[in-house]
Parts: sequence; structure tokens; C-alpha cells
Amino acid sequence: MSEATKQAVRPLVDTAESRRPIGLLFVAIPVFLVIWLVIWPAINAISRTVWRKDKSGEMGFDLSSYAFFFSDSYSLDNLSITLWTTLVCAILLLMICLPIALYLRFSRGRLAAYVQALAIFPMFVPSIILAFAFIRVLGPNGMVDILFNAVDLPKIRTPYLTPWGPVIGLVWDNIPLTVLILLAGLGSVANQSIEAARDVGANAVQVFWHIILPRISNSILVALSFSVLGIFSSFTLPYLLGPASPEMLGPFMQRTLREVQDPVGAMTQAVIAFGFCIVFGLFYVRSVARSREK
Amino acid sequence: MSTMTTARGRIDWLGIFFAGLLTIAIVGPLLVVGTWAFTEVWRYPNVIPQQFGFRFWAQTLGRADVWNALMLSLQLTTVVTLLSALICLPAAYAFARMNFPGRNILFFSFLAGHAFPKFGLLVAIAAIFLQLDLIGTFWGVVLIQLVGTLMFMIWIPVAAFQSVDRRMEEAARDVGAGPFRVFWSVTLPQAGPTIAAAVLLSFVGTFYETEGAWLIGAPGIRTMPVLMISFINNQMVIQFGAVLSVLLWVPSFIALMFARRVIGGGAFARGFGG
Repeated sequence: MSEATKQAVRPLVDTAESRRPIGLLFVAIPVFLVIWLVIWPAINAISRTVWRKDKSGEMGFDLSSYAFFFSDSYSLDNLSITLWTTLVCAILLLMICLPIALYLRFSRGRLAAYVQALAIFPMFVPSIILAFAFIRVLGPNGMVDILFNAVDLPKIRTPYLTPWGPVIGLVWDNIPLTVLILLAGLGSVANQSIEAARDVGANAVQVFWHIILPRISNSILVALSFSVLGIFSSFTLPYLLGPASPEMLGPFMQRTLREVQDPVGAMTQAVIAFGFCIVFGLFYVRSVARSREK
Repeated sequence: MSTMTTARGRIDWLGIFFAGLLTIAIVGPLLVVGTWAFTEVWRYPNVIPQQFGFRFWAQTLGRADVWNALMLSLQLTTVVTLLSALICLPAAYAFARMNFPGRNILFFSFLAGHAFPKFGLLVAIAAIFLQLDLIGTFWGVVLIQLVGTLMFMIWIPVAAFQSVDRRMEEAARDVGAGPFRVFWSVTLPQAGPTIAAAVLLSFVGTFYETEGAWLIGAPGIRTMPVLMISFINNQMVIQFGAVLSVLLWVPSFIALMFARRVIGGGAFARGFGG
């Protein structure tokens, strides 16, 4: 009984002497699934793309699929449109979500609650419905065209099937988590420190730059890492809203695997995606693990 | 209340600005879809549909492919959620209460899936499934969707089990209750609501899972979201997509109601590293 109480106050990081391996039995199946369907596929994709049969049928070290990717202009176009989309989305997300999060942090009342509810709302809209709504609003003869026509404005060039289509959709989709992560970070900024800065005559910009920004820079990086990981290899929105050529890596991998039926090519593209995201992935995992350990 | 709002004056112009902008950008598109679902005739460039009605509801619901997709989606989602609960909840209990070698590293191993760009990982899994002949099969999709629920179904219940008051369990044991009785009558009622929320969220998340179902399931397995993709791609009657969107929206709305308690207080964001 006393051992149980000790365990209750003990944090997750433990140094206990009494370890009962029976617990391993309880966690065996989920852990096996993670190893089989997360860690093994990643290792398998890397090893099968660098250790391949050559023409004479002998296994050997071979980087030709990577050499092909980085010399093929179509692949490179796809990679650069992916990088461009990710960068533009990250910038737009920060420009939209940081002001909203700042407003929510320093406001109370029904209007702020309404703004917060709306900002979180896209989390509950499946991206497939979002894609359909996008086409009905911004697509050809969509709602925007109808309204512009009603007030005698010229038609806009629709972003549907252009690189801006996925950008708009992905930003819309990623607003909730970005706002939530930034808001959680802003929670650690104490009201007293802001009031103290104001008392010595700091204006709003100075307060933001010198007091708020240094405290939430980690949250900004976490929010960006999270959205970069999601956007870089996104599939549904680029596939439905983006141009057919060049296409983002998500649809490109899907087509290489299922239509061109070239698993090695698809795995090469996947490994290249891993490579571009590894910094963000590790940073994100480290931050979550840390905040969980607290 | 705070320094910044009082300095700005009585009327919250910034709040009105954000509220207006977000209403147009977030509620607006969904309203357009909702309107399309109840429209029979809407010709460009009329601002309002010429004729409202339920004709397309009957037509959409009369389609065999819609019913097949709905039944398949419900089957898949139920199987995945039950399997996930079956393997994850005991694991969560062990992580929260038991002490065993490698507990921390195993606990954080569920984060591994989040270190990779998701679709890249799916492609790597699909390459393995190709060799195992799991492509285009029901169980292939079950496996891929099961992996997607793991972290959610372990981390939230772990927090739930950890927050159960240990003294109540001990009191129950002191008056002679067996370990199973204690779990059933004391532990479960306290951890239950949070666990139920996790189960519900993973049910809804699985229902909407599109990428794994499309990559692994095609062409044999057509879930609701996959059917919706083909409706959008083939540019069929607009109302079919609109009616499906409204139908698909219902489970999401239920999740929204439930998730309020889980998301409240920024705890959810902290789970995502905020």
C-alpha cells in the first residue's frame, strides 16, 4: 500500500528499484505496432533505396534513385513547389494566428469567446469538406464570382488548380492548432511583467518585442514545426485544389506508388521528405516530450 | 480587465475586426455548402438560388455507392476504435500505474510517428503492405488507421488514470474490495469521462481519415471521404457533394460538443507541445 502511494507522487521519470516486468505485457501490442508500422517502414524505406539489386542482380550500395530525383527536372519542380507552399503557408499562418492569439490572451468577454470558438472551428471541419467548400466559394462561378458580379466588379482569377489553392486550404486547416499552441505559450507571459514594462513607459510594440516575444519564441517554433510537418507532405488539399503539374510531394508520391507502380521511386521521395523535415520533427518531438515530463 | 484592453477604449474594435473576418472566412464557405445542399436550381449569376428543395437528398440517399461507402466507413471505424481501445487502454493503465523496465522510452516511442511528415510515412508503410498483399484490403486500412489512433488513445487515458485519487482506491481496498472491484467501482468512474472523450475523438478522427484509406484502400475500399474525393474529381452534380458534406458534418458536430471539455484550458494544445 505504501508502495502505491509512493508511486502516485513519483513523476514519470523514475529511479525505482522495484520493477515488475508484467507491465511490459500490457504495453506489448501497441509498442509492437509502433515498431512494425512506424519505425520499421522508415528504416525499410531508407535501406531499400540505398541498398538495391544492380543490373547483374547483385545487392549493393546504390544511390541511383536519389541521383535520378535530383537530376529530373519534373521531380525538382515538384520539390520546389512543395518548399514554396510550405514557406508561404508558415509565413501566412504566423501573420494570421499571432495577432489572433495576442488578442485572445489580453481580452475577456463574449466577443473574445466568439473569436476563439471561430479560430478553433476548422479543427472540426474535415479537409474533404473544406476542399468542396473552397471550390464552391473560390472556384469558377463560385460565390465570390457571384458576389463580385452582383456589384459589377470584374471576375477574379480563381486560385482553384493554381499553387495558391493548396496554400489557402492548408492555412485554413492549420489555424486552430497554431492559435492553440501560441495561446498556450502566451499563458506563460505574466501580467505583472507587462504592467511593469508599461509603468516605465514602454509602448505596445516595445512590450511585444521585449517582453512577449522572447517568452513565446519557443511556442512559435513548435507551432511552425507542427504545421511544417503537416504541410510538407500534405495530400488531400494539394491533390484536390492544386495544379496537376507541378504537383506537391504528397500527390507526387501517391502517383508514383499507385499509378506509376514504382515503389522504390516513391520511397526515395518519402526519404527525401523525411530529410527535409527531420529538424522540425526532432524539435517537435523534443518539445512535446519536455512539456509532458513537467 | 487587462492593461491592453483598457488602453484601447470601451469598444473592442480589434475584436469586432477579428470576429467579422473569421466569420466571413470560416463560417461563410460552410454556409455556401449548406445552401447548396438544399438547392434545386441555382444558376449563375443569381445571388440566391432560384429554387430550394429536398430533391437531391432523395437522389443522393438513393445511390447505392453512398450507402455502401457509409456502411463500410461505419464498419471500419467501429473495428478500428474497438481494437484501439482494446490494446491501448490496458497499456495506458500500465503506463500510469505500473513500473517496468523501459517505461519512459516506450511511453515516448508513441511520438515517433509525429517526427515524420505523415504522408511520407504512409508511403513507406504502403511499400511494406505491397509485399504483404495488404493493399486494397479491409485489414490493410484497419492497420493503417489503427496506428493513427495510438498516441491519442494512450496519452489522454494515461493522464486520466494518473488523475484518479489514489486515497479513494486505498480506502476501498481497506474495507475489503478486491482489485477488480476497486478498478470497476472507483477508478473507472473517475477516469471514465476523459477516456470516453478520447474514444469518441478517435472514432470521429478515424471516420474522416482520408489519406491512408485512399493510399492503402484504393481501389477496393471506398470509404465516405474517398467517395467524396471521386465526387469532387468527377465534377458530378454539385448537390451530391453538398448533401454528402452536410451528412458527413454530423459526426464532427457531435465531436465538437464533446471535445469542448478535453480542449478546454489549453490542455489539448499542451499535448501538442504548446
